[in-house]
Amino acid sequence: MTAPKLHIVHLYPNEMNTYGDRGNLLTLKRRAEWHGLEPMIHYYHAGNTFPADADIVLGGGGQDSAQDAIQDDILGIGNELHRLVDKGVPMLLVCGAYQLFGKRFITSGGQEIKGIAVFDVETMASPKRLVGNIAIETADFGTLYGFENHSGRTILGQDQEVFGTVIRGNGNNGSDKTEGARTHNAIGTYMHGPLLPNNPMLTDNLLQVALRRRGIEYKLRTLDDHLAKQTAKNAKSRLY
Amino acid sequence: MRKVTGTVLGKTVAQAVKLRGKSGGQALPGLIVETLIPGYLGAMLQQLPDGVAIITGTNGKTTTTKMVVELLRASGKKVLTNATGSNLTRGIISSVSQQATKAGRLPFDIAVFELDEAYASQFTRVLKPRFVLGLNASRDQLDRFGEVDMVARLIGDTMLSASERIITNADDQRLSAIAASTKIPVSYFGVAPSLLTYFPRDDELVAVDGGTATLQAAEVPLAVELMHFRGTEAVYRFGKQKFTTNLQITGQHNFQNAAGALALVQAILPKADPAALAKDLAKIKPAFGRGQAFRLKNGSMLQLNLVKNPASFRQGLASYVKPGTVTMIAINDNIADGRDMSWLWDVDFTSLQHRPVALAAGCRAADMALRLQYDDVAVQTIEPDLEQALRIFCGLSENKVIFATYTAMLKLHAMLGKQAGKTL
Repeated sequence: MTAPKLHIVHLYPNEMNTYGDRGNLLTLKRRAEWHGLEPMIHYYHAGNTFPADADIVLGGGGQDSAQDAIQDDILGIGNELHRLVDKGVPMLLVCGAYQLFGKRFITSGGQEIKGIAVFDVETMASPKRLVGNIAIETADFGTLYGFENHSGRTILGQDQEVFGTVIRGNGNNGSDKTEGARTHNAIGTYMHGPLLPNNPMLTDNLLQVALRRRGIEYKLRTLDDHLAKQTAKNAKSRLY
Repeated sequence: MRKVTGTVLGKTVAQAVKLRGKSGGQALPGLIVETLIPGYLGAMLQQLPDGVAIITGTNGKTTTTKMVVELLRASGKKVLTNATGSNLTRGIISSVSQQATKAGRLPFDIAVFELDEAYASQFTRVLKPRFVLGLNASRDQLDRFGEVDMVARLIGDTMLSASERIITNADDQRLSAIAASTKIPVSYFGVAPSLLTYFPRDDELVAVDGGTATLQAAEVPLAVELMHFRGTEAVYRFGKQKFTTNLQITGQHNFQNAAGALALVQAILPKADPAALAKDLAKIKPAFGRGQAFRLKNGSMLQLNLVKNPASFRQGLASYVKPGTVTMIAINDNIADGRDMSWLWDVDFTSLQHRPVALAAGCRAADMALRLQYDDVAVQTIEPDLEQALRIFCGLSENKVIFATYTAMLKLHAMLGKQAGKTL
């Protein structure tokens, strides 16, 4: 059997890459290879045609200036992204990309930036950044560890599913214990770290869901994850 | 009056800290004087006939400051500077009170201070420097700064406080754009276009698809240009004259920083002879923990190299990993190191693929090993305890290089001082 191909689309890699989010792409790529799959990486830049056969979509954090620059473009591909979400394509949208996949972002100056509303969430800028190690509990992926660094406070709409519950740290807004949002298989989150290498069960789940959605029953291999287990163990006992 | 009181107070506190055997007492005298005698620092520094020069930026502050200080001293100037690592205002106040006479006089011609980019405005509110050298703006400790544009704004604000001249890096688009926006005279330093690939700008560190920086390098005449380097040899151009020099300071990034140091010294001493400056530059040794070399008891060499962010780690890998060397990487996550490990994923470690890392150390040793796993770099031993790690590492016979974050570097430096033969 030839290795199944998986098309991984990385959104705006040159603008949305502030906090090592490139590590999420590297982790997906390497784990796909180690599992015997053939990952195909597509960098989506503003103005490009959106790749037709996306299996996994990734987006990272950006500076405010970068978010401005891609604002019009992401609204232009909003329908395409909605269609993929509805089809169950797994996505991981971190920080700035999470905010742009929400309904709107209100800047500190009161200006409203429209998002594509995959998630029923709204974000308001706040003068104090929420920065630090974070641990959350999720229904499908267990306990996840990361690092958050955001000025936005995000509030979920009434029926919006959350990604996880904060065990330690701030999450969406520092007050309601929610972290991130989830719509079908699209995940929005504030967790850097980066998230995927530190939480390989989540990474493998993205790969498995992507394969299944294409009708491929494929048993992922057992990989050597002793280092990720060690970092998780350290994160668990970390005091702050 | 406050010059005398502040100086005596600073000296007294420093003495008390010393008597009680406390280490790290650099900041305390400054903190107390700053609180009790407002205006002390400004009053003291106004005595200096040649004023104050500030060096700031993300990477290279300490080494560049050392170069500028030693070049000025070689030209006969009496130079006041701050102790390594004390780059906040209170550290400077400590230095000033300890080096002043009891009568509150500063027996120096000029002060050259390295300033932390986040705290530089505290200083420039007190005193406008004559010269400011802005080296570069790069993603660094984003748990402190938030984002790169913010880093550039902080450095830019310091540059714009210069009363006489700004010196900055023409190849750093964010800083050169700030310099171009002002009426303050500017001297630019830079590298030859063919060398730009060795000195990637922040946006290029993470760009994909051959994506390049959104802003271009400034098309400006350079006061000093790094034209060429190979091994320890570097060629600098001052106007139309070229000078070749052999540096003891290591690391290709420092060849670029030296261009900045030379440009600042030329601004301070317009009549200085470039040939003499190039000659004096060759005599300068690496700064504390910045590519510093130690000869170990077993005869091997060890180079200790601070890494702080993707740019400095990348430059360190390119400069110090050579055939036959073994590597140790020590990562801590204290505030001074940066608490977020994400930045390690913006560093490309594939150059280590055929040179396995002997040790990953520090409290984030496992995170470092995990990062390396995804670049197919094997780590032989994971040892969070720095003392234990250094002991194992020093037992190896090969020549060695250590990459360490700030607090890990300080600790390793102290241990090496005890067990190594000598610093070269």
